[in-house]
Amino acid sequence: MGKIKMKILVVALAATMMTFISTSTLAYYSTVGKATNVVTSGNIQFKIHEMTDQGKEFPKEGVYIVPGDVVSKKVSIESDCDHPFYLRVKMVYGIDAQELTAEDCFKLHIDEKHWKLRDGWYYYTDIVDPGETTPDVFSHVEIVGSEVDNSYIGKTLTLTVKAQAVQSENNPITDGNTYTASGWPKEADK
Amino acid sequence: MKKIIALFVACIIALSVALPAFAAEGKVTYSGNAGNFIFEPGSEHSPTDLFPNFKGVMPGDILTQKITVKNDLDNKVKVKIYLRSLGAQEDSVEFLSQLGLKVAKSSDNEMAYMFDAAANEKAQLTDWVCLGTLYSGGKVNLDVTLNVPVSLENEFQSKIGKLDWEFKIEEFPIESSDPQSPNTGDDFRLGLWIAVMLCSLSMIIILLVWRKRDKEKADQ
Repeated sequence: MGKIKMKILVVALAATMMTFISTSTLAYYSTVGKATNVVTSGNIQFKIHEMTDQGKEFPKEGVYIVPGDVVSKKVSIESDCDHPFYLRVKMVYGIDAQELTAEDCFKLHIDEKHWKLRDGWYYYTDIVDPGETTPDVFSHVEIVGSEVDNSYIGKTLTLTVKAQAVQSENNPITDGNTYTASGWPKEADK
Repeated sequence: MKKIIALFVACIIALSVALPAFAAEGKVTYSGNAGNFIFEPGSEHSPTDLFPNFKGVMPGDILTQKITVKNDLDNKVKVKIYLRSLGAQEDSVEFLSQLGLKVAKSSDNEMAYMFDAAANEKAQLTDWVCLGTLYSGGKVNLDVTLNVPVSLENEFQSKIGKLDWEFKIEEFPIESSDPQSPNTGDDFRLGLWIAVMLCSLSMIIILLVWRKRDKEKADQ
């Protein structure tokens, strides 16, 4: 009985081996494989930070002011993408009464070393690299006492910071002036 | 000493993290063992992605991607390898139609492109194009160039474009007139030896079971 089993075992083993050997020699055929190749496009993204001298976020609900106040408000922009870019910012003033203007009510302490004014926009003089945060555009806002009279009592004055960026890669500038870069959105797009 | 080891480990980790940045090459390998191709390196968007260099492209970019197509079969057969494009996937047509794509064989030093059209199209790769006959270990290199126009609009930020390519292999027996391919020594058939090992193991188990049964019968 044991010898018969051994014979069966040897035959089975041989058959199994033959199967594998046959598989490896029956080769001459054709086959097709598909590759799905992917191209992705980059983007430009940033965050605007509004902080106080104490390193806290500027309150979203605003602050109460009286003429002559100097409000601590530090505005900077942080890159939030993998590509370097040029940057410009613009301050837009508003008030909840059409007969009044807020334009002259604010005096900003602009960092003119890093931000150059041209056509209403402050252009950052350098490239913002990935992960980098710019120096503050301004650090304090002064409420001009001579402009804010009694007619402003109970009104809400707003100071909105708008920012725009354009890629610096493949985008040469002239004489180091970042406003000469191509691709700045038109005024209508702002 | 611990600090030195920690520093060393940190360096190793840093190097291992940095390595993928240098491995920006697409690879198509035909091993034939499972009748399949291996596409590398793949990406988060597709496991068969051959374009690691074409990620996060920006207007004005002109980028190149080298793709190596290799025959990894043993030296008993030679293969003819073909390429064709199936074009862009439906939801990628608009984005890829903005980009220019060129494909050439690196060995052809002349600037003869086998494909030169918008990236979404099939163009000259509509039908199979033979890349060559490869013996064991043989390879052919493709240079793919992507041209992103500087005029690409903002609406195409953060887009994903998928482009399908097909590779086809035809195996032929080596003939006496073929050039003798160099013996690389790498003819180890891993699959075969694993199969032999599994067979042997199962036979041993069966034998042990039989032996145990025979012993139990003898005891009774």
